[in-house]
Amino acid sequence: MKVKVEKTFPFEFPATTAWKLLSDLPLVATCMPGAEIIEKVYDHHYTGKVKVKVGPATMAFKGKIIVKNIDDLKQELQMIGKGQDLKGSSSAEMEMTAWLVPKDGEGCELKGKSTITVNGKLASLGGRMMTQVSDQILAQFGKNFVHQITALGEGKAAESAREKLAEQAKTLNGISFAGSLAAGFIKNLISPKKKD
Amino acid sequence: MPTLAGDVQAVLADEKVHFQYQEVAAVIADNRYIAADALDLVEVEYEPLPVIVDPHRSMDADAPILREDVVKKDKVGQGPRKHANHIFTWAVGDKEGTDRALASADVVVKEDMLYPRVHPSPLETCGCVASFDKIKGNLTVYITSQAPHIVRTVVSILSGVPESKIRIISPDIGGGFGNKVGVYPSYVTAIVASIVLGRPIKWIEDRMEHLSTTAWARDYHMTGELAADKDGKIKALKVKVLADHGAFNSHAQPTKWPAGLFSVCTGSYQVPVAHVNVDGVYTNKAPGGVAYRCSFRVAEAVYLIERMMDILSQKLGIDKAEIRSRNFIQAEQFPYKTSLGWELDSGDYPTALKKVLDAVDYAGLRKEQAEKRAQGELMGIGLVTFTEIVGAEPSKACDVLGVGMFESAEIRVHPTGSVMARMGTISTGQAHETTYAQIIATELGLPSEEITIEEGDTDTAPYGLGTYGSRSTPVGGAATAVAARKVRAKAKKIAAHLLEVSEDDLDWEIDRFKVKGVPGQEKTMKEIAWAAYNNVPEGMEMGLEAVDYYDPPNFTYPYGVYLSVVDIDKFTGEVKVRRFYALDDCGTRINPMIIEGQIHGGLTEGFAVAMGQEMPFDEEGNLLGNTFMDYFIPSFVETPQWETDFTVTPSPHHPLGAKGVAESPHVGSIPCFTSAVVDAFAHLGVTHMDLPHTAQKVWKKIHELGLDKRD
Repeated sequence: MKVKVEKTFPFEFPATTAWKLLSDLPLVATCMPGAEIIEKVYDHHYTGKVKVKVGPATMAFKGKIIVKNIDDLKQELQMIGKGQDLKGSSSAEMEMTAWLVPKDGEGCELKGKSTITVNGKLASLGGRMMTQVSDQILAQFGKNFVHQITALGEGKAAESAREKLAEQAKTLNGISFAGSLAAGFIKNLISPKKKD
Repeated sequence: MPTLAGDVQAVLADEKVHFQYQEVAAVIADNRYIAADALDLVEVEYEPLPVIVDPHRSMDADAPILREDVVKKDKVGQGPRKHANHIFTWAVGDKEGTDRALASADVVVKEDMLYPRVHPSPLETCGCVASFDKIKGNLTVYITSQAPHIVRTVVSILSGVPESKIRIISPDIGGGFGNKVGVYPSYVTAIVASIVLGRPIKWIEDRMEHLSTTAWARDYHMTGELAADKDGKIKALKVKVLADHGAFNSHAQPTKWPAGLFSVCTGSYQVPVAHVNVDGVYTNKAPGGVAYRCSFRVAEAVYLIERMMDILSQKLGIDKAEIRSRNFIQAEQFPYKTSLGWELDSGDYPTALKKVLDAVDYAGLRKEQAEKRAQGELMGIGLVTFTEIVGAEPSKACDVLGVGMFESAEIRVHPTGSVMARMGTISTGQAHETTYAQIIATELGLPSEEITIEEGDTDTAPYGLGTYGSRSTPVGGAATAVAARKVRAKAKKIAAHLLEVSEDDLDWEIDRFKVKGVPGQEKTMKEIAWAAYNNVPEGMEMGLEAVDYYDPPNFTYPYGVYLSVVDIDKFTGEVKVRRFYALDDCGTRINPMIIEGQIHGGLTEGFAVAMGQEMPFDEEGNLLGNTFMDYFIPSFVETPQWETDFTVTPSPHHPLGAKGVAESPHVGSIPCFTSAVVDAFAHLGVTHMDLPHTAQKVWKKIHELGLDKRD
């Protein structure tokens, strides 16, 4: 099944700082909850793994990440990640385009557009929750991205951001995550969005 | 492996996997823990290929070919084929006559409807233990099968082991509902593994495997056209069906009937001319359609005609009870030959309808509905007057793998008058032990508690085709009655010998033969049983037993009138079933308590299908509903209260007049729920809503109509 997610994250950092992080794939990967780059195969080609928990299914995906395009001028990154879980019962693919838009005055916005395709058990078991889960994963990605940029700097704020990053769970299985998922679900119930 | 429908099905996929969850590898281990760990070590890499999920796309010119292995075959079961993904076309009736009648009729209503893919989902999943004795060359298989004798024949054909050396034992089964008729790849794997290894091999499914790979039902995309005059008298019926058969054509069906008995779709009505066309196609879904608590494709047929009757009634503004009444086959017209070739044996539809309408105060309900509508509330009244076709089947019409669809019973009366009886059917919870014992007790006058009924062991039971399609009572029950009557005929001869009179001088009374006009001169069945083993007339063999292989002259046609009342919450879409009144006519009622139980079960499974069960797929072919988180199994919490009633119109050709009952409530209740849900919106021009009527789907309709606005 296919899920399309679009997100915008506003930052107080200049676009040039944010771009430094966004264009560094191994570093930006650490912002993705549960994800990890294992090795760089060659330029723009990496292998990595992701652990996801959707509903009752916890799955470890191993696969490749390919940076299709890095455009310094437009400050845009296009990447594709695809993998299979180790038992071969599910597969997932994510195509993502992320770019930065400078705001008037200080700061910028990180915009992201992604299409996530899942097949197999993950789709069967987690189908109903995929939209919310994808949404939450990307929301957390935005938060981590802010921490990561902050951590790149100096001073007290950077220190606390580094601590938060260290606490960041490596799998998507935290109580806070489940909590925000439930909150999102309830929010959707109260103000139903139009879906096709 | 060959399928019952004439196709070839992969036991384990090689080169190409055709549907999600298809079996690709098997691991055999000493215990389940090792097996599970070993399975985790099997790495499978899949290369995604284009898929077909929507059967309407199967025969597109640019559709990917799903089955390269049969591409050159002009037949996979029933031919001819017109596309690589096409399986069969089956047409019946008078096409020209139907088209002519449609063109000249006062009014024609047309509707597309989908009877979605559902799963019978018995509580016990499928499983078997296969044990091959390498020394003796004997194969014993314990299996959850509704048709153990057919399984033995299939296993023998496939393995080369003589049927006499194969013993299939189908013990107590935790529900079947059609799901346990077929032979699945994992049975074959277990049997082959046992033959190769010479050790017992057990295979059992988990719930997800069961829901994903074993036999499902329906998946009929139907278009109905019903023509009538302005008074609502039917002139013609035309039906087109696209049947999604999944990746292999492995439907459980009588050989010559690729669309089962779907052509019974003229229902309880006088339809002068009709035509049905069914096309079966391949898609990337699990194979193996069965009849889920119905006779082959009868649930679909009944759904179609009952929906069309409602739609016609809406179009003409004639009440749905009235329009049915105007088109009923009348009691004196039976046996009635339908325009699609069936001979309905008996019925009295008007009496049944009147009884139900009076019982629920139909006029009062309509009045209440009008008041509710005026207040903006949603109340619906559903009505169906359906006829089923069950009791598969006369062997002249139906066979499985060339074996006629008879049924068998063997009755042995012991010297002390107790009875051992064995049948070719197999109970999956319908209490054959009670019904059959009651038939024998009634026919022979022997106490039912001393009658033992045994089924399901092919080493002891006579050959039978098994239990499905409501055939146990219509065919197995008939065999039992006829066998019992053979025993009684012999007993009469012995009684005449013992009493030294002619057979003609004897009267039968409950449990004994009496000499006419001579009180006290009598022999009870127990006394006769004793004599059968020591004192029989000259020239007669000793013993008291009989076998009967009953080949029915016709199907039986149970029917019913169901009425339901629903209230719909216009803000949540929840459908609350306020009332469900079910009148069934299953002919002679052998055991009322068992009938009642069967009807409650069938209605509940009908409620499940109508209100929640479906097997949805996403566009990639992922099954999105193969756990009990998604797949609806109603409990006492959701299930409405059932009110039941009956009339009795015995079948003229069945030895007891019985017609079979277990499936009517399932088949009949589903369109009755749809009828009620649609009726709640009928005043707003809604003519049809597809199953299942979940709160979400109903709410969507409410929202589309703008009924959920708060003041």
